[in-house]
Order: sequence, then structure tokens, then C-alpha cells
Amino acid sequence: MDNLKIPVELAAQIYNPATFGDRNRVNEIFKILRRDYPLSIAEVPGYDPHWIVTKYDDIREITRQDELFLSSVRSKTLASQHAEQLMRDYTGGLPHIFRTLVHMDEPEHTEYRNVTAAHFMPQAVAKLEPKVREIAKRYADRLAGMAPHCDFAWDLAFYYPLEVILSVVGIPEKDHEKMLRLTQWLFTYADPELKRPGSNVTDPGEIIKTWDLVYAEFKDYYDKVIADRRAHPRDDIASVIANGQVRGCPMENRAAISYFAIASTAGHDTTSATTGMAMWKLAEEPGLLQRLKDNPKLIAGFVEESIRWATPIQQFVRSAKEDYVLRGRQIKKGDLLYLSYISGNRDEDAFEDPFTFKPDRSPNRHIGFGYGTHICLGQHLARLEMRCFWEEVIPRLKHLEMGGEGRMTESELVCGPKHVPITFEMAA
Amino acid sequence: MAEEPYKVWQCGVCGELYDEAAGLPEAGIAPGTRLADLPEDWMCPACGSSKADFVPYDA
Repeated sequence: MDNLKIPVELAAQIYNPATFGDRNRVNEIFKILRRDYPLSIAEVPGYDPHWIVTKYDDIREITRQDELFLSSVRSKTLASQHAEQLMRDYTGGLPHIFRTLVHMDEPEHTEYRNVTAAHFMPQAVAKLEPKVREIAKRYADRLAGMAPHCDFAWDLAFYYPLEVILSVVGIPEKDHEKMLRLTQWLFTYADPELKRPGSNVTDPGEIIKTWDLVYAEFKDYYDKVIADRRAHPRDDIASVIANGQVRGCPMENRAAISYFAIASTAGHDTTSATTGMAMWKLAEEPGLLQRLKDNPKLIAGFVEESIRWATPIQQFVRSAKEDYVLRGRQIKKGDLLYLSYISGNRDEDAFEDPFTFKPDRSPNRHIGFGYGTHICLGQHLARLEMRCFWEEVIPRLKHLEMGGEGRMTESELVCGPKHVPITFEMAA
Repeated sequence: MAEEPYKVWQCGVCGELYDEAAGLPEAGIAPGTRLADLPEDWMCPACGSSKADFVPYDA
């Protein structure tokens, strides 16, 4: 039996970043929601009402209809009324601090996406394999050098995807740490260990203040990169973005800065989260490592299942452009819909044994990269870098187990492991 | 008259391939099914884009 309104004490939990520090708790909450409130309204004080969309099919139905479920007119991520107002105040009326592809509607979204799209198609990404594999080998060596103990998330998973994407974009290594720090401030603004130093998470406007500061840092950095690549184009993605044209004109500045910002943040943080989660699973699941060592062809499936398992992007919000009936519910024009990707990827009606990690799951049509025309532009690069990494690491791993308690970040937006202590033995 | 060789098509949005020779058994589409013979409302299995978004694959 489903009900129209979700009890506030239940709904409020998924609005709280701290909840996401406990993935088992998150799974339990969404299990209840899928069963009792698969498409129901959350009315949490301080927030406009949101439909909480928990079912895989519903998320796909919404996200393949960009013309009906908009990305640009309201905050694309969960935001309180106060936070939305602050965003409009800071930007002169925009509902977003960043204006990335994620925050655009058609036709603008495709016009901007097409600036770089060809560079991220599978055949273009395949040409990057030698470069990515060289980085993967170096990180595999680094991991071997840390044996018998390391915190895999903190010591390695945060850095490998960072180096891959930033080298593809064309950002010098000396600035990678800065990009990692800005990413963590942005996506884990409320996590006690990763948040911006000095930020006050009890302030309901803190998220937007932090985002605005991060945007200013990116603008300061990338305005110089844009000027440099316009004057001296190179064979890198920075030059493609800096010189990219939309309708015959250079990109609007906030959109250009945001293009760089999303590459410098989501372009690695989600892959780091997935890589960390995969190692966590590998260390916990009896027999999984040996199974992959015995059959390396399973590594691609291991990567795919780890994406479903990790689902780093927890939610995006869409607003209805017009009235629409979904799952028998009347969605009204202007209504907000919170799409729970972690719930969709654990939907019992879409995945057999969704709480079992199966590297041979086939098909594995998860929505970890999203769905519809907003599907992750970097998905093929992410797959490549994870496959290369595991192909380099798994044959060399002789022994692996958790060396302590793993811990997730406290973030209701992008969430992954921040600590994966492992004890291991690895061939030199 | 020789039959036209099977083609591989690519979703212009997400890069997913549709190989006519292989079909898409997971979705009940038999090997040897040409893109043109798929229902008009068929969608890319990876991103939901329409059949019209598929273009000949250029490796």
C-alpha cells in the first residue's frame, strides 16, 4: 500500500548529509520508501515539497523526457528554500551557482555538450588507453609500495582518477591537489573531515556560501586557462572548451567556467568513489578476488557492477514543465521531483538480487551514469580508467582484507568511501 | 542479388552500439535484426534516446 505523503521523520533523513555516512541505513530507508511510498511527497520544513522518485522505471521515464522534466529552472540538486534564495542572490537571479551541462535544458544542453562530445565517445576514449594504462600502472606500483597496509580511499582512490581526468583536460600536476580540495569542499561540504575549513555546517546557507567560494576559485583559475588556450591552443580538452563555440559565439563565461569545473570535480570524484567502493567490496567479499584472478575477463563486469554498487550521485532534482501522470500520481506543473539513483539501482523490480554484488550481472543496465540525454559525458573514460586500474592491480594482489572499518562520506549529493583501510600483499 | 551486409550503428547521445548481426538478445531482439526493422518507438537501451539518434558507427 503506498501513501501520498511520506512521514516527515522518514523523509527528513534523506535530506540530511549525515545519513549518507551509513550506506546500510540509506539502503534500509529506500527499501521502505520503494515498498510503501514508491512515488510520494516529502514535506520537510524549510524545503518546498518534493516527489521522491524511488523506482528505476520512473527515474528512466522522467530523465528521458528532458522537454517535460526540466533541469534549468530550479536547483538541480536538493536545496532548501533559503539555499535556493541565496543562489539567486549570489548569481543575479539564477537558480544555480554552477551552470554545467547538468543544469541546462534543450536545445542549449546539446549545443554545449556537442563542444566536447566527440572527445568522450568510446572510439575517442579508446585512443587514450595507452596513456591511462601508464598512469594505472604507476598507481598499481604505488599501491604495492604501501603494502601491507593503507587507507585505499585516502592514499590512492582520491588521486588516480584525479590525475587521469586532469591530464586529459591539460591541468598541470602541481594544481591537482588544489582541484581535489575544491572538489571535496563542493561535494562534501558537510562532511566533518572533508568540508571547507572554517565552514559552519549548522548554517543552512553554508552549502551555497561554500559553492560560491568554490566557483570564485574556479573562475579565478580557469579564466587564465581559457585566455591561455585561446592564445596558444594545444592538444587537450582545455583547448577544446576554451575555443568551443555555441551558435557561433564563445561560450557564456559562467557556462565555460562550469564546464571546466565539472570536469575538475565530477570528472574524478565519482570514479574515485566507485574505485574505493570496489576495493571495499573486493576486500570484504569472500572469493571475489580469486574469481577475478582466475577469470580476468570478468574485470569489465566487475567495474560495471561496482558502478551500480557505488552509485556515487545520490540525487538530482527535476521540475515538471506541465502536468503529467506517473505511476498513477498526478504530477502538477512546477512540481519538484527528487530522483534517487541509489534507490533506482537497488530496485527489486529492476535488478535480481539487487543487494548482491554480481560481477557477471548481465545485462547490467544500471543508472549510475544517469539516463537520457544528460547521461554522463565521461562514462566511457570512467570505465576505461577503472578497467585499466583493476587489470593492473588484481593479478598482483596476493592477499586482501579490510584492515579496519570503512567509512562513507557524509553527503547527500556525491557519496563514496572516504576511508577504506586494507591489509594486503602484492607482487612487486 | 546479394543481401546488404549487416551494419553497426551508434547512439549519437551516449555512444552505445547496436550491431545488427548480434541483435539485442537481452531485449528479445534476434540476431540479424536490422535497425530499420526495429519498432519506431524503440529506444537506446543505455540512454533511452530514439532510433533516429543512431548513426552508422565510425570506428
